[in-house]
Amino acid sequence: MKFITQFSLALLALTLVACSKKEAPPPPPPPPAVAAPAPDLVNVPVSVKQVVLTNSLGADMKAGAPMTTFAPTDTIYAVVETIGSGNASVKAMWTYHKGEKSAQVSETMQELVLAGPTSSEFHISKPDGWPAGDYQVEITVNGASAGIQNFSVK
Amino acid sequence: MNMGNKKTDDDMPDFSNVVSGASSKAAETKATYKMYTIVSGDSLSKIAKREYGNAKDWTKIFEANKDVIKDANKIYPGQKIKIPL
Repeated sequence: MKFITQFSLALLALTLVACSKKEAPPPPPPPPAVAAPAPDLVNVPVSVKQVVLTNSLGADMKAGAPMTTFAPTDTIYAVVETIGSGNASVKAMWTYHKGEKSAQVSETMQELVLAGPTSSEFHISKPDGWPAGDYQVEITVNGASAGIQNFSVK
Repeated sequence: MNMGNKKTDDDMPDFSNVVSGASSKAAETKATYKMYTIVSGDSLSKIAKREYGNAKDWTKIFEANKDVIKDANKIYPGQKIKIPL
């Protein structure tokens, strides 16, 4: 009888110890992911991010719907998005192409002081309408080509 | 604004009456130019008359091109100049 009592007490003690044991703390949360630094769009040399051709220009010089085909009566805009800072000569050279031949349509240049991402626009129109055919505009920044966009008039 | 450039080929369209322009949201726009290639018979005053409607404005063109035009009376076909817009 004494043995049973001692065994019961031991069992009870073990149970109490087991119940009073604290649960292991949850593992610490992983450290927050370090976001990749945003690309510096200001303290870099001026470069062209994108050129959009369109026939309408919204507020803040935002391009309308991108287009590659225009109507003869359209004013054609090349909206040039640049990043970077500093002085920049941004030029748009518009040309017409027919087979192997080409003709200059217009060439316009802006001398700018840029201080970060900037929108600039170049536009051309022709009072008697654009001849149907294939055209091209090349954007250069400080004399270096920053891309060529082809478009047509139908 | 009139481009003024003559067509280079009989098969090619005439783009001499193309109107061009440009603008920017840049911190500062120092200048905006249209590039023009001088043709035979041109003078700065003729170009100014055509571009600005006033021949006396030839000085604007001369000032913008002092790096390539040393004497306002001596310009040459094929010379590429800047016309301030």
